[in-house]
Amino acid sequence: MKTLLIGEYREGKLLDSTYELLGFAGQLGAETAMLLVGSDSQLPACGGTLYLADASQCGEYNPDLHKQLILDAVQKENPDYVVFLHSSYGWDLAPRVAAKLRVAQVSEVIGLAEGGFEVGCCNAKMRRTVKPATPKAVITIQAGAFAPQQPGGNPSVQKVTASVMSNVTFTGYEPAEAKDVDLTRAEVIVTAGRGVGKKENVPVIAALAKALGGELGASRPVVDAGWVEHSHQVGTTGQTVSPKLYIACGVSGAIQHLAGMKKSDFIVAINKDKDAPIGEVADVLVVADVLQFVPALTAKL
Amino acid sequence: MKILVCIKQVPDMESRFKPGAGGTWYDESDLAWRMNEYDEYAVEQAVQLREQLGESAELTVLSIGPDRVGEAIKKALAMGCDRGVHVQDDAPATRDPWQIAGIIAAYAKDQGYDLIFTGMQSQDRGSAQVGVTVAEDLGYACATTLVGFAFADGTVTAKRELEGGIKGVVKLATPALVTCQLGLNVPRYPTLPNIMKAKKKEIQAIPVAELLKEEPLAATVSFHPPARKGGGIVLEGEVGALADQLVGILKEKTAILR
Amino acid sequence: MIKDESTLNVMVETVQKFVKERLIPFEEQCSENDEIPHEIIDEMRELGLFGLSIPEEYDGLGLTLEEEINVVLELCQASPIFRSVIGTNVGIGALGIVIDGTEEQKKKYLPKLASGEIIGSFALTEPDAGSDAASLRTSAVKDGDHYVLNGTKRFITNAPEASVFTVFARTNPDIKGAGGISAFLVDKGTPGLSLGRNEKKMGQWGGHVCDVILDNCRVPASAIIGEKEGVGFKTAMKVLDKSRTHIAAVCVGAATRILDEALRYAVDRKQFNKPIADFQLIQAMLADSKAEIYAARCMVLETARKYDLKKNISTESSCSKLFASEMVCRVADRAVQILGGSGYIRDYAVERFYRDVRLFRLYEGTSQIQQLIIARNMIKDVS
Repeated sequence: MKTLLIGEYREGKLLDSTYELLGFAGQLGAETAMLLVGSDSQLPACGGTLYLADASQCGEYNPDLHKQLILDAVQKENPDYVVFLHSSYGWDLAPRVAAKLRVAQVSEVIGLAEGGFEVGCCNAKMRRTVKPATPKAVITIQAGAFAPQQPGGNPSVQKVTASVMSNVTFTGYEPAEAKDVDLTRAEVIVTAGRGVGKKENVPVIAALAKALGGELGASRPVVDAGWVEHSHQVGTTGQTVSPKLYIACGVSGAIQHLAGMKKSDFIVAINKDKDAPIGEVADVLVVADVLQFVPALTAKL
Repeated sequence: MKILVCIKQVPDMESRFKPGAGGTWYDESDLAWRMNEYDEYAVEQAVQLREQLGESAELTVLSIGPDRVGEAIKKALAMGCDRGVHVQDDAPATRDPWQIAGIIAAYAKDQGYDLIFTGMQSQDRGSAQVGVTVAEDLGYACATTLVGFAFADGTVTAKRELEGGIKGVVKLATPALVTCQLGLNVPRYPTLPNIMKAKKKEIQAIPVAELLKEEPLAATVSFHPPARKGGGIVLEGEVGALADQLVGILKEKTAILR
Repeated sequence: MIKDESTLNVMVETVQKFVKERLIPFEEQCSENDEIPHEIIDEMRELGLFGLSIPEEYDGLGLTLEEEINVVLELCQASPIFRSVIGTNVGIGALGIVIDGTEEQKKKYLPKLASGEIIGSFALTEPDAGSDAASLRTSAVKDGDHYVLNGTKRFITNAPEASVFTVFARTNPDIKGAGGISAFLVDKGTPGLSLGRNEKKMGQWGGHVCDVILDNCRVPASAIIGEKEGVGFKTAMKVLDKSRTHIAAVCVGAATRILDEALRYAVDRKQFNKPIADFQLIQAMLADSKAEIYAARCMVLETARKYDLKKNISTESSCSKLFASEMVCRVADRAVQILGGSGYIRDYAVERFYRDVRLFRLYEGTSQIQQLIIARNMIKDVS
């Protein structure tokens, strides 16, 4: 079995997520070749053929041109699967390639399943197994679903280029805006509970939130005590949230709080009390003192 | 200027889903149906453009499905679309994204639309394929995941949402198709008087057989709930070791740490 | 009667979404401040909620009663004070004009009531007269082509916000009963019309009630609804037949929300290592509430259908209002019980609803008045 992996590169850098493609191919037990629109100073640490197009000529975002580069590589490699990350780059490009090849696309694969690929559906509440009906297929894999593999070594680079008229012109990047707190949209929330002890300790929790690129949350008692503003409150009288990662620091897990956060994708609780009710909804319960553990964790990130 | 917005009707995502008789999709009984959230952004943006252009523009809303999708079309008409197209299909869930895109492209091909709006994906199937595939079928310029949209002098300036909140700015010449993402706008409520008035707007019905020419390229072989979460892991021990353990788990189980 | 099911479904979905996104998040704040923010009332206007029952030719939506009730059942999933804002325009504050008004009166008031530009209010109750027509004291004495009104009206919902009052007054003191009563449309700002202070109520904070005082208030004869003396009480009864069904729907909507709050709590809250919903004594309370809500819902919808067929619903609307208002109080009481101590705490919506719904057994005819109406109708039919 053979895969053509489509690497990712942005603002002059190879993106680490590229190694998740290798992780996926590893799980499939497939041979790999890679196509990257990047630069030869930023090569992935892996063996195999690398079709390398120069991003300074081909553009970091130029879907019509990148599509052509991929189609050319498909011609040479004749892979069973063309694999993208399900990212702003991958979901934009993959259907264009699949349509030109007239092959099946399976989007946002989270795992391999008997008879096909496992994908999420219905807002990630349910799963489907999807089976391509064509000999080749285009796959996009969910970010984070496949552990990255960095086999090391050097790819054998084949420089490629293409020239295509495009009616889409990329004009540049805009940096992310600093936003007001909107916990409902945060991907990561780190919440301070009564267990942080006093107002002066809140920055310890906020530092972890920052290190994870997330927002600070707070439980009811912490807000009532005036340690954190109400706009950060999670729970029945605050906001109901469902981030990808929720870390509850010194939150006992009163029912009002649980109602506001239990739908989070992954929940970590840090609590001295092994029997605290927060443990019931947590994927990981770290039994430790919040003020000792949280700075230690932040230091490792 | 002719504008098309494509919408899907999906179940209320707070519903409890269970597999239907074939085991390949959800049981459709007892579900409340809504306009796909991403499509609401598409409709709002299309209506804003329609308002910007005034009488020189015509905005059509299209949906594929059984009778119930008439409600989603009416909602879009009440939000400000001019006319509706209902592709009547009693089994839209059995079509793969390739076929759905083929149906839309077959309808749109001779209509001369300058701009087509879709949601970036559906909330139920979530393939994020249909919009881009329609653009490929029609040979339209295309950009996905829009959080910013402006139109002037025949050119679309779009802001695409990239990872980490960065935006990529692209310009597209018409004819073009864009797929819309949360954050693009705040969809208006269709007001009750406008819902009443929407009754008078035309909805053209087209049997799906007239537009469906493609065979599916992929099949859903199973629809099921995720494997049940086992009990949580409990970590105890020395703080430094615990932190290492947790970082390892987060790398393995979440997309947050890489 | 549902004229167009898919159109109604779109309306119901819109109201559902509005309730979830724009009303429920603000209900606690509105209660605490005893005020609904202007921007929310503006949004309710824009949505078209004030015009539910007003005919289309006067810029309303012209919903049938069954359609109106389907919308109200959704709207009342949020605090009843939001329904109260539109309640008088949809119900008692506008219906007198809709049912018995002259064309001129309809043209003057209904489009503005439908858009919510003005608020209508219904001034029947007096300090010494509730549903007893004979003891209605407010007088209207003819003086040329005007009437001079004197009296006090009590517990008038939305009076502080109202621009037009439907005031019931006795035009003929020689007729002690209903026949001596006429209904007047009195505009805010008419000399002699003034308001008392806002009452401090048990619940429904954010909705306002006060006295309306008439002190030599001169209004033209053309202000009588239908420009016909002596039929005011009949107008009031026709208004109330319809609006009592509406209030019964309000009760069903509120009860649905309250039960939902209690159910969620029962499923989440653990005692003795299991959710309290697993205990049969809790289950009994949940089941009784569910069954009673279903019964009331069926009564309300059936009554509405009968009304839409232009049949007399005097008995049915009183049955619905009696049962639904008593029912919602039982449901609220059980909900407090299910929440235990939390049900007595302000943080939980159930505590607020418990106080809010108590009013439903009192206004637009107490439960006892409904019993009298039902029984009188029964006896009249056999004698």
